[in-house]
Amino acid sequence: MKMKLLRSKNWKVFFISLAFVWLQTGLVFAQQIRVVATWPALADITRQIGKELVNVDSLATGVEDPHGVPMKPSFVPRLNRADVLVLIGLEDEHSWLPALLDVANNPKILLGRPGYIDCSVGVPVLEAPTLVDRSEGDLHPRGNPHYLLDPVRAKVVAQNIATGLSRNFPQNQATFEKNLKAYTAELDSWIGRWEKMATPLRGVKFVEYHPEWIYLADRFGMKRVGSVELKPGIEPTPNHIVGLVQQIKEEKPQLLIYGAQNPRLPQQIASETGIKVVRLYSGGGNQPETDTYIKWIDYTVRTLVQSVS
Amino acid sequence: MLFFLGGGFMDLCQTRLQTTSAVFVLCLVILFPRVGLSQEDATQALRKQLGEIQNQLKSALDRIDQLEKEKSSSSARLGQVEKSVQAVQSAPSALNPSMGLVLDANVQKRGTAGGLFDFRSAEIGIAASIDPFARLYSFINGTKNGVEVDEAAAITTSLPYNLTVKGGRFLADFGRFPKYHEHELPFVNEPLSIDRMVGGETQADGAELYYLFPTPFFLRATFGAMNKIGEGNDRIDNTVLRSGSQFTYLGRLNTYFDLTDNHSIELGTSLAYTPSVRLAGNVSGGSRMLNGVDLTYRYQPLGSLVYQGLTWGSEFYANSERFPFDIEVPNEDDPSILETRTVGKRQQSYGGYSYVDFKLNKNWSTGFLLDYAPVIDNPSQRTLSYSPYVTWNISEFNRLRFQYSYLSNNFKADKADKGNQFFLQWTTVIGAHTHGFLTR
Repeated sequence: MKMKLLRSKNWKVFFISLAFVWLQTGLVFAQQIRVVATWPALADITRQIGKELVNVDSLATGVEDPHGVPMKPSFVPRLNRADVLVLIGLEDEHSWLPALLDVANNPKILLGRPGYIDCSVGVPVLEAPTLVDRSEGDLHPRGNPHYLLDPVRAKVVAQNIATGLSRNFPQNQATFEKNLKAYTAELDSWIGRWEKMATPLRGVKFVEYHPEWIYLADRFGMKRVGSVELKPGIEPTPNHIVGLVQQIKEEKPQLLIYGAQNPRLPQQIASETGIKVVRLYSGGGNQPETDTYIKWIDYTVRTLVQSVS
Repeated sequence: MLFFLGGGFMDLCQTRLQTTSAVFVLCLVILFPRVGLSQEDATQALRKQLGEIQNQLKSALDRIDQLEKEKSSSSARLGQVEKSVQAVQSAPSALNPSMGLVLDANVQKRGTAGGLFDFRSAEIGIAASIDPFARLYSFINGTKNGVEVDEAAAITTSLPYNLTVKGGRFLADFGRFPKYHEHELPFVNEPLSIDRMVGGETQADGAELYYLFPTPFFLRATFGAMNKIGEGNDRIDNTVLRSGSQFTYLGRLNTYFDLTDNHSIELGTSLAYTPSVRLAGNVSGGSRMLNGVDLTYRYQPLGSLVYQGLTWGSEFYANSERFPFDIEVPNEDDPSILETRTVGKRQQSYGGYSYVDFKLNKNWSTGFLLDYAPVIDNPSQRTLSYSPYVTWNISEFNRLRFQYSYLSNNFKADKADKGNQFFLQWTTVIGAHTHGFLTR
């Protein structure tokens, strides 16, 4: 009876339909290059280079603490299907990405393989520690990884992505290079505008919560005078806050910049010193005004300028 | 003569020229006043433009200075980094694995039995790639009882068809917390239900095969074969040769769903089946079936994950196993005499735990553990424990935890294993240390 049931025409139709749907799904996926980027800003730059050839997915949404992205199992299937992985590098993703790659069963995107596109290659790095020891906090041994906040360095990132995509898909190299040229020209034009727009920021002193803003500050001539954190990644002690408040009163920085961190301490410091508090995210992509790299930097510069005006 | 004449003539001419020029300019001003005014405007405008150009030039020069300074400092930094990288690459130890050490110690007071400074473990973790196809990791654990290889396993990295194979000694993929090293748990001690029903950490000598389903959501299966499961499971000898029916076979299915960006559910079901367990003495054995179901709900607000969060986790276990059991039976020759005989008796036991953990801020979290642990060879006996705890994460690598536990037994237990228990635990990490995805 059972065999008869299995032999029936309906079952055959069902299995053939299932196989057809499965195959079609594969074909749809095969049409575009599947890219997984760790952060929305990287995802956007990849879209600008790959245009219609790529289907880009970002793991983080942009509101996360740069070093506190949850290790979600739902990232695993996305990594499993990826043709290439685009990441910040400099151990920015070290707390969550390597463990996910361990279970994603995708040799193409492992460290050292062609699909592993580390955007930090060739980027002039700031704050490379001279002492690599945890007494200096939760530091990055190869330097500060928040280089995306400098639009000039973003041109190196775009170049790295174009090179990485070409390495994996050489048949599309000409398209990637053409798109890179157009995007770099667009970035150059925006950089000129931002340089002009950011004139009021030149010489502006600021305090940051976590060392995220050094690249932007260097580009636009801002001066960091202190950090809320005791050391990178280490929450402040009461004594450190007392010292910082005293320092703010003496050196009179205009801004305290924080992002994904808890607003409680910045607000407390502001109430004691009168310093202006600005919340800006160092990941981009978390709101409509920042859903592309250019819009994110534009929003960031504009907000800072408005804050000091 | 000519000289004097010439000089006077020249002076006269110069004076007249000056007078004539002055008159000419005066006439121009009187006759064409608008021309004079517009020239003045033009001069002012030119001066203004010149001033602006000077300012722009000054800011451009400043920018050039800054860029040059930046370039030189970047070059210097790059030079330093390159030198450092070269130094590392040329060092003979460059290919050494990454290493870390975890110290887990506590001071405790247990019931009315007294207190103890408990050096629980110093765990050395070592890991590196073997070649492009596999990596190796190991945890070597020193405790007050000696040094033991807790885990040492090779794991493939490049198998096709979403397959991964692990072999050696490892913590088998059974349940959620049973495969955690004790210092990784959110509370001080492993729940007693895991200790009694699984045999502590799921240490196993064997092999596991993982399969990641090609589904849009996370779905992973584990199949394993091992000598036994459970570090503290002394009912099976880990060192003797055995038939196929005396190995333990493991299966697990694990899935996960994002309910929203901030809320998620993880579900797992595990089975460890041993077809034939040899019992001590001249007693026939039987199969052992250990089942587990684990459910974890997480609230992880993406924007403030470092500062806020809630995890609610529960696991339930069912164990079915034969244990040696003494019964009194009449003597075959003389039925009036009762003699003791050991037989195998199947016992079904059920237990588990549930806990909730709140993240209060970056440094502090608190929680509560409820644990129900049957004695598996006599399930009518059980221990119920209640454990509130508070954790202070001084940094990511330095943690203090205080826990109070109250143990309620429905049988006569050792005085160290009942009543009020207090623990102050200090856990610290140096070097590279991670237990990976399974213990996230």
